[in-house]
Amino acid sequence: MSLPRPATPLHDRPAPGRWTQIDPLLLIVTLLLIGYGLVMTYSTTAETRTFTGDPMQFVVRGAIWAAVGLAAMAAVALFDYAWLGAFAPLLYLFTLGLLSVVLAIGTSSLGAQRSVNFGGLSFQFSEVAKVLMIVVLAKFFADRRASIGSPLTMLLGLVLLAPAVFLVYRQPDLGTSLVFIAIFFGIAFLAGARIWQLVALVAMAAASFPIVWALLKDYQRARLSAFLDPYADPQGAGWNIIQSLIAVGSGGATGKGLTAGTQSPLGYLPIAESDFVFSGLAEDLGFAGAVILFTLYIVLLVAALRVAFRAKDPFGMLIGAGIATMLLCQIMVNVGMAISLMPVTGIPLPFISHGGSSLVSICFALGVLQSISMRREPEGP
Amino acid sequence: MRQDPRAFIPVRRFIAFGVAIFLVFSTLTVRLYDLEILRGDYYHVLSEQNRIVRLPVPAERGGIVDRTGYVLARNIPGFAISVIPVDLPRAREEELSQRLGSLLTLPSDSVGDTIRAQRIRNPYEPVRISKTPVPREIALAVTERAELFPGVRVDPESIRFYVDGTLYAPVLGYTGPITEPEFEKLKQSGYLGNDDIGRTGIEDVYEQYLRGTYGWREIERDAALREIKTLALQRPTVGDTVVLTIDDRLQKLLDSELRKGVDEDKFTQAVGVAMNPQNGEILAMVSIPGYDNNMFARGITTAELAALNGDDRHPLVNKAIGDRYPAGSTFKMITGLSALSEGTATRDTVVNVSASSFSVSGTTFYDWRQHGSLDFVHGFAHSSDIYFYTLAGGTPFAPNVHGVGPEAIAKYARMLGFGAPTGIDLPNEDGGIMPDPQWKLATFDEPWTIGNTYQEAIGQGFVAVTPLQLLNAYAAVANGGTLWQPHVLKQVTDAAGNSAPLPEWKSRKLAMTQENLRLIRESARRVVTIGHAYMPNLKIPIAGKTGTAEFGASTGKDSAGRNKLGFHNWFVSFVPQADNTDPTAQIAMVIFTYDSSKSLCELCLNPAVGMTQRILERYLGANK
Repeated sequence: MSLPRPATPLHDRPAPGRWTQIDPLLLIVTLLLIGYGLVMTYSTTAETRTFTGDPMQFVVRGAIWAAVGLAAMAAVALFDYAWLGAFAPLLYLFTLGLLSVVLAIGTSSLGAQRSVNFGGLSFQFSEVAKVLMIVVLAKFFADRRASIGSPLTMLLGLVLLAPAVFLVYRQPDLGTSLVFIAIFFGIAFLAGARIWQLVALVAMAAASFPIVWALLKDYQRARLSAFLDPYADPQGAGWNIIQSLIAVGSGGATGKGLTAGTQSPLGYLPIAESDFVFSGLAEDLGFAGAVILFTLYIVLLVAALRVAFRAKDPFGMLIGAGIATMLLCQIMVNVGMAISLMPVTGIPLPFISHGGSSLVSICFALGVLQSISMRREPEGP
Repeated sequence: MRQDPRAFIPVRRFIAFGVAIFLVFSTLTVRLYDLEILRGDYYHVLSEQNRIVRLPVPAERGGIVDRTGYVLARNIPGFAISVIPVDLPRAREEELSQRLGSLLTLPSDSVGDTIRAQRIRNPYEPVRISKTPVPREIALAVTERAELFPGVRVDPESIRFYVDGTLYAPVLGYTGPITEPEFEKLKQSGYLGNDDIGRTGIEDVYEQYLRGTYGWREIERDAALREIKTLALQRPTVGDTVVLTIDDRLQKLLDSELRKGVDEDKFTQAVGVAMNPQNGEILAMVSIPGYDNNMFARGITTAELAALNGDDRHPLVNKAIGDRYPAGSTFKMITGLSALSEGTATRDTVVNVSASSFSVSGTTFYDWRQHGSLDFVHGFAHSSDIYFYTLAGGTPFAPNVHGVGPEAIAKYARMLGFGAPTGIDLPNEDGGIMPDPQWKLATFDEPWTIGNTYQEAIGQGFVAVTPLQLLNAYAAVANGGTLWQPHVLKQVTDAAGNSAPLPEWKSRKLAMTQENLRLIRESARRVVTIGHAYMPNLKIPIAGKTGTAEFGASTGKDSAGRNKLGFHNWFVSFVPQADNTDPTAQIAMVIFTYDSSKSLCELCLNPAVGMTQRILERYLGANK
C-alpha cells in the first residue's frame, strides 16, 4: 500500500488484512439474503412484468445491483477501515453534502424528494449517508472513550448528528431520520454512554412529541393516526395498513406460492416491491417464509455483533454496533409497518426491498464489517 | 500479567444488544403467528373478497303465449347508453352532456350531474345515462360517431314488448322498475336494484316463472375496480314460458266487436269475458278502454301517465274483475234458483202479471210491460220483473206464492260466488257486494225493506257484481253445478320443454238439484229463442240472459268527450253442445256495455245480444 499515512495522529493503527479472517457466516448469510431478495423481486413484480414487456426486467436489474454491491463489498473489505477513521471529518462533510444535493436537485416521488437521478439511474443518497454517518459517529465516540460520561460529549455527538437528521427530515423522510437517531443510540450505548443520559434523551424526545407533531406534515400525521385506527379512513390513510394486513394474514402458514399472491399484482398493496415487500413475502410464502427470513436476519445480526465483539479496536467495534443497529432498526420498522406494529414509513427492508441504493449501501457496510473482521487480532494458537 | 488489550469490549452491553434482537424478532414472530396462523382464514376470505366480485348475469324474461302458442309478450333488443367517467376528459364533459341530453331528450344538466357524481363515486364504473331502452338508430348514431362521444358505452339490453299492446294489457299487465321497498324485501331472492319486475297482471302474478334464474360471473378485479378476467361463469336460465288459457282468435273477435260499438258511440266502455264452463279456463278477457302496456315497458312519461289517470273511464282498471256494477236482470237467475232450491217456486209457479206496476207502502214498482200469465220459463224468458219480485218477496199478483226472502237469495248468491272474489289468477280483483238485511243494518244502520228485496230480485239496489262473477255463476249453471276458480294460466313450460307443476284450481259443487239447474238452462235458452234476447237466424244453440241497469248520471259527457248514454247492458250466455239442456257447454261469455244508448224497450235491442250472436257464431262456426 502506497497511500500516505494521515497527518493526524491515528488512534487506530492500520493493520494488514488476512483473508483467512473474513467472517464466513456473515458472507454466507449475505449471499443467501441477496438471493432471497431476488426471489422476492421476481415474485412481487411477476404481474407487473407482463405489462412492461420485459419479463425479468426487475430481477435482472436487481441482479446487476447485487453484483455491484458484492464488488463494492470486496473492495471495501480490502481497504483498511482505519483509513475511514482518518478521513472521518471529510466523510462527515461529504455526507452532509450528499444530503444537501438531494434537497437541491432531487426528484420527487410520492411527495418526497428522496432520490437523485444520475446517468439514467436514481440514487437514494440517504442510504449511503446512513453508513457514512455510522463511521463518523463511531469515530467520534471511539475518540472520546475517556470523557464518555460527560454530558458534553453526548451533546457534541448530538450536534454532529443534528444536521444530517434535519436534512433527511426535510426530504421529507421521517423514517430514515429516525434510523439516524437509532444509530446514534446504538453506538453511544456500546461506547459506554451512561444509561441515565440515554434514558434522559429518550424522555426529552418523548416530552417534545407535541412539538414534533406540530412540525409533521399532514400526510405524516394521517399515517400516525391511521396506525392507531386504520378503519377510521379505510379508503384513505388506513388503506395501506388494511391491505397490508390482508396480504400478510391471507398468506397463512405456507403462503399462496411465489407470484400467486393477489394483493400486490392487483394494486391493492402499494409499492409492493419496496416499502411493502414484506407483505408480499408473507402473502406468497406465508409464516414459514417469514420465519426463514427472520432466521437469516438473526444470523446476520449475530454475525455483525460477533465482528464487533472481536474487533481489534473500539472504532471497529462501534462501526459493527452501528451497522447492527441500522439493520435491526430497518427490519423492525419495515416489518412492523407491514403488520401494523409500527406506523407507515418508507424504509426499505434490507436485501429484500428492490432498490440499488439500499442494497449497495448495505453491501458497503458489510464490506466494512469484513474489513474489521479481517484486521482483528488473530486468535491465539 | 498482561492487561487484556480488548478490555474496551462492554460484554454486558453486547448481551443487552443480543437480548434486544431477540425481543424484536420474538414480537414480530408472535404478531405474524397471530395474523397468519390464528387469523389466516379470516384474512384469506378478505383477500378473496377484495379481488373477486360476483356480478349477476340477468336472465331473459320468459315469454307469454296464448293457448295455441301465439306470442303475446316477448323481448326485443334495445340499448343502454352509459358513460365511463375515467374515459371522458373533463374538458369535454360539458359538451358531451349536452350532446347526449339532446340525443336522449334528457336535460343536459342532469346528464352532467350523473357523470360528475359517478366521477367521484367510482370513475372506472360505467354509469347509465339512458333512462329507458334506446332504439337501434340512436345506438348506431353513438357508436358510428365514437369521436363525438368520448367515454360513452352502448350495451344491449332487453325491452319487454307486448305484441298486441292494448288488447292484452288488462290480462298481461306490464313490467316496471323495482321500487326501493320491494327491493329491500326481494334482494334476498336475488333481485337487483335496477331490476324490472312484473307490476301487474300476469307479469306480476307469474313473476316467479317469467323471471328465470339469474346467473353470475365471478371476476377478478384490481384495486381500481377494473375487470381483469372472468374466473367463473354460471349461465342464467331463461324464464319459463307462460301459456295462457286465452284464445287469441276469440280475444280479437270480442275486442273488434266491442271496439266497433265504442267507435259507433253505442256505449262508452265495454267488457267481454269468455270462459270454458267445464274447467274455469278464461278464453278471452277484454276491457275497453284500455292502455298500451308497451308505454310502461319502455318507461312511461309523466304526461302519458297523467292522461291515463285523468281519464274518468279508468283505462288502467281491468273492468272484467276490477270494478263492480249492478247486475240487472241477469241476477234473476239467482233469484229464480233460490226460490226453486228453497221450494217456494217450481217451473209451474204462475204469476199473472196483469199490470205493469204496483205499489207497496207508497212506492211504485214497475215491470217493463204487462206480461199476462207467466210460468217460470216464460217469466225468465221475457224477463218479467214482477214475476221475480213475486218469487223474492211475494206480490199481490200471486197471493199464494211466498217470497223466498232476501236471506235465501243472498245465501244462494254467495254459493254462486257473489260477494267475494272468484280467486282468478290476476291481481286487483273486486269482490262485489251481496247484500242481505244484516249487511244493510251493519252498513247503513237501517232495516231492510220489502223494496230492498224487490230490487235485489232484479239485480239492482245494493247488488254489485264484477262481470267475471256473473260469468262464473252462469258457467256453474251451464256445467251442471260446479263453481270453478277461473284462471288464465294453462301451462308453464321451461326452455327444455318441461312443464312446471300448476296450481290446483279450486272448484266446489253447488247445493242445488240437477232438475233446477236444467230448468234455468232451459229458461235461458228460451230467452234467445222466444224471449227478451231473440236472435234471428241463429246458427248455434245459444242460451243466455240479458240485463239492463239504468243509472242516475245519464246526462252530460265523460272526460273523453263522449255522451253519457244512461244504461248498462249485460248479456251472459253459454252454448250447449246441441239444442238441449245438457250441461255440456264449452263456452260461456259475458258482455257488458257501460253507458249504452239503447233504452229498456223491446224493440231497441240490448247491443250485447247482437254482438254475442256474431262473436259466438263466427268463433264456433270456424271451430267446429
